[in-house]
Amino acid sequence: MKIIKLSGKNENSIIESVVDVLSKGGLVVYPTETCYGIGADVTNQSAVDKVIKYKKKRQGKALLIAVADKEMAGKYVKINEIAENIYDNYLPGPISVVSKSKGYVAKGVEADDKTIGIRMPKYCLVLKIIKKFGKPVTSTSANSSYKKTPYSVKDILENISKKQKDLIDLIIDAGELPKNKPSTVINTTLNEIQILREGDVNLKSPKKVITKSENETKKLAKTLIQKNRNLGKKPIVFALQGELGTGKTQFAKGLAKTLGIKEAILSPTFILMREYDFKFKSKKLKFFHADTYRIFEEKEFIDLGFKNMVKKPNIVVIEWAEKVSKTLRELKNSFELIWIKFDYQADENARKIEYSNEIL
Amino acid sequence: MKILAIDTSCDETSASVCSKDRVLSNVIFSQVELHSKWRGVVPIIAKRAHQERINPVIEMALKRAKVKLEGINVFAVTAGPGLAIALEVGIKKAVELSVKYKKPLVLVDHMEGHIYANFGKNGKGNYFNNLKKVKFPLLCLLVSGGHTEIVLMKDHGKYELIGQTLDDAVGEAFDKIARPLMLGYPGGPIIEEFAKKGRPERFQLPIPMQRRNDFNFSYSGLKTACVVSIEKLKKEFGKEFPSVIPDFCASFQKTISDSLIFKLKKAAKKYKTKQLLLGGGVVSNNYIRSQMRKEMRKLGVEVIAPNKRLCTDNAAMIGLCAYYRAKKNRFVKNLEKVDRLPNLQISQKIPF
Repeated sequence: MKIIKLSGKNENSIIESVVDVLSKGGLVVYPTETCYGIGADVTNQSAVDKVIKYKKKRQGKALLIAVADKEMAGKYVKINEIAENIYDNYLPGPISVVSKSKGYVAKGVEADDKTIGIRMPKYCLVLKIIKKFGKPVTSTSANSSYKKTPYSVKDILENISKKQKDLIDLIIDAGELPKNKPSTVINTTLNEIQILREGDVNLKSPKKVITKSENETKKLAKTLIQKNRNLGKKPIVFALQGELGTGKTQFAKGLAKTLGIKEAILSPTFILMREYDFKFKSKKLKFFHADTYRIFEEKEFIDLGFKNMVKKPNIVVIEWAEKVSKTLRELKNSFELIWIKFDYQADENARKIEYSNEIL
Repeated sequence: MKILAIDTSCDETSASVCSKDRVLSNVIFSQVELHSKWRGVVPIIAKRAHQERINPVIEMALKRAKVKLEGINVFAVTAGPGLAIALEVGIKKAVELSVKYKKPLVLVDHMEGHIYANFGKNGKGNYFNNLKKVKFPLLCLLVSGGHTEIVLMKDHGKYELIGQTLDDAVGEAFDKIARPLMLGYPGGPIIEEFAKKGRPERFQLPIPMQRRNDFNFSYSGLKTACVVSIEKLKKEFGKEFPSVIPDFCASFQKTISDSLIFKLKKAAKKYKTKQLLLGGGVVSNNYIRSQMRKEMRKLGVEVIAPNKRLCTDNAAMIGLCAYYRAKKNRFVKNLEKVDRLPNLQISQKIPF
């Protein structure tokens, strides 16, 4: 293990030594604007394994990586609109951006859901090193998991074992770093609502109404449930599609009120699903209010117990239903589906609402 | 009295060992399994995930506290509110342990737990938040991803829910506004980060529910107003739109904070309370904390906030609450009947 003190004059020779160590699959401890990080070639399996061993982490868990610029990131992950916004406007900086992996990194870098967390440290030397090296390097903090965040080389060396020390090839000592907190991690993949392909949902000759207020949206809900012949006989699933603030929850409130539910219908986004009891002709039934906003995969929706919900003639309302359209299509014979699409109108309070039973 | 507490109310699988009101360990799955930098991004929330995590989390909590299951005197678990299928996993485990080790079980209200996060001590017996004296009755503001509530706490275990959100919770409002701003998920930390560089006076957003005389909140109207004005700003600024994001975040954060303080001041006057206790994930927002302190001080109200690690969902707060309940012998009488209470409210008595 070698320690080089950063002096401001030796930058070029440091870059060369670091690139040399990285190319040989070695580990380098380097300063960033948050804390000391540990770097290795993210495409080199044995180098990544060493980092995991150093961090004393269980196998298969994610490691943050650092890139020099957006172009480099784009080679390893799919950069969507949200990620683009952050790269263009806020990086480099103490933000880690989680995107879908393209699968070119060594095992152990990606998270379970095939995403990678990417940093672009606001630390000129590090960006130069990565640029010269031409590939991303790991950017996890240089402590072992659950130990103190390292702001000085002393913090690191005092808290690791001899075995861990032996794994490090080079340390760049930039002295005591300012005690900035670790980077803020944001996930850009979660809110990426899939654009529905033509044919996913076919609002065949759908009915269309313009509601002028929240109350009118609630009234529409009342009409759609009161006049429904299947109420109390067959489960009814209201699949709601529409952007933020278009009235999905208002619609659900309208349904609940019509069914005689007295409790406040709160947004289920965080909790994923809320359930309420109601009676129809002395039958005890349930009103399920689900929200897929935070759900990654359709499988998770099934895990919420959807199949059980539609075993009885319950009412199920699903917000952001386009995320689970495949499941709804597969199971469509077990319930009546009412697909409802909400859109903003030029008038701020008005909404266009289309609804239909058809799904293809 | 050694307590093993479990919380599986929503995303997090958590277990904690407390010795009376001293927290000996507090293990949250996402911290154990992943690097701390990844906290908040663990996606899989389903029942199956809790089932896989619960045993390792309990083991880790016991190991860190250097206590064996045989040494536990009381088991505790969150009964609600929360996601029914998630709650079920924790409850089943706690009942099983209680039967196997023949030790009593305490059921805890998750929101009550957020209050008790303020009453936790470290291993040396000092309060994490330097709490001095509790003066009942006091107000509690509980703000998280799924809840926004003002609770009047008359004594330990005695509550009245005096106000709550009628639609979206504050934490959710943060998360959702991050979407049109193209800032990813979760929204809370990133909006706070950008707000630091922004001017809170730049955008006038409507403070919800000001005209109503009650203590309820509503954030869906504010959400819609934000979406509409963000769309306008996008058109107005075109490529330069990102330059207004910090100001927008600061203005939004201020509006949220003002809306909370507005109702809290009214409530403090009406109920003549001298202390305000904070709880829930949103309380880790420094701006909201400091605004509360500043504004409530003007009314002579002292603000008490938990250590940040105890703000977001965790089992230590469940253990702390269980300690106070156990002191009053509020143990489960019939273990076979214990069931999840997904819509539990803090003013309700927990049955079984």
